[in-house]
Amino acid sequence: MTPTLPQRTGDPTVATLLTWLVPGAGHLYLKQTRIALAAFVLLEGLYVLGVLLSQGMFLEILPAEMRGRFAAALTPEAGNLGALLLHVRQYGFGGLEPRPWPAHMDLGMALTATSGLLNLLLASHAHLLARTPAAGPSTPQRPSPAAAAALTWVLPGLGHLAQGRRARGLVALALVVGLFALATFLAEGSNLDRERHFYYWAGQFLLGPAALAVEFAHGHPTLTSLPDYKDAGVVLGSIAGMLNVLLMLDVYGYGETKWFQRPEPAPAPTA
Amino acid sequence: MHDLGFHALLFLVSTTVIVAVSCMFSEPEDAAALRLFPRRLARFLIGSAIVLGVMLALEHTLAAVS
Repeated sequence: MTPTLPQRTGDPTVATLLTWLVPGAGHLYLKQTRIALAAFVLLEGLYVLGVLLSQGMFLEILPAEMRGRFAAALTPEAGNLGALLLHVRQYGFGGLEPRPWPAHMDLGMALTATSGLLNLLLASHAHLLARTPAAGPSTPQRPSPAAAAALTWVLPGLGHLAQGRRARGLVALALVVGLFALATFLAEGSNLDRERHFYYWAGQFLLGPAALAVEFAHGHPTLTSLPDYKDAGVVLGSIAGMLNVLLMLDVYGYGETKWFQRPEPAPAPTA
Repeated sequence: MHDLGFHALLFLVSTTVIVAVSCMFSEPEDAAALRLFPRRLARFLIGSAIVLGVMLALEHTLAAVS
């Protein structure tokens, strides 16, 4: 006789797609009202603040030949799809006349990008909750797989440390942050500028606040000559960011396995 | 700029990081990931050497402009 599987809380695909369109909508569908409201306010607030600071000009960075229909699809902002669609509809690529960048252009773009990436993590959380039986996970985890992935974005290796995988976390931190540091050294900081490297910046952004902190500390240098290894720096920095996605998937997968793992039955008492 | 040795060193460093992280992703257990690393790194380097050989051969034959 086949054992009856516990009923899911909701449809994971629906929960994920709803979150992708509107932060918190997936959790609202799963009746997680408090998380839904907090996520909506936080993530949409970040996006709106970012748009206000950058005056909605992030796509105006792109040169004319790169202004295709799907130009915005490869940006971190695409993680918050509803907001990005409204953004593009409202501001697009700007008018015919170029405008000067506002004073807080870089901060504004960092906020909209952060909103997009955090919303993807929220969508993964909604997907996990939808697959979880109403009675809760087999083995409740702190942090949850999505939170561990978010910690890895905050600092590579931090999610592993939070899961108790200390050695792996420290090795991951040294490798990925080391590669990013080498890249920044080679490019003399020219790799850190979204205005200079629109799509490569998106790759480096996957390294999280560590990359943003270096970017803002370095102060977007004005170059009088191009560094010899600028291309190597840009590529390696982007690779470091993408490798961090593998680390995020690693902690998510590890946490997910534990989340759904059934506890081993207790051994039968011996007579 | 045209320092071949430095380029090779950069390639080796980036390859080591890429292969190490991919081993972590493939194997949730640390010991298994560590065992996988040398074999996977060797395969990556040999594969890259073959691609390099093919590219150089093409550059000096079909793509030669001089």
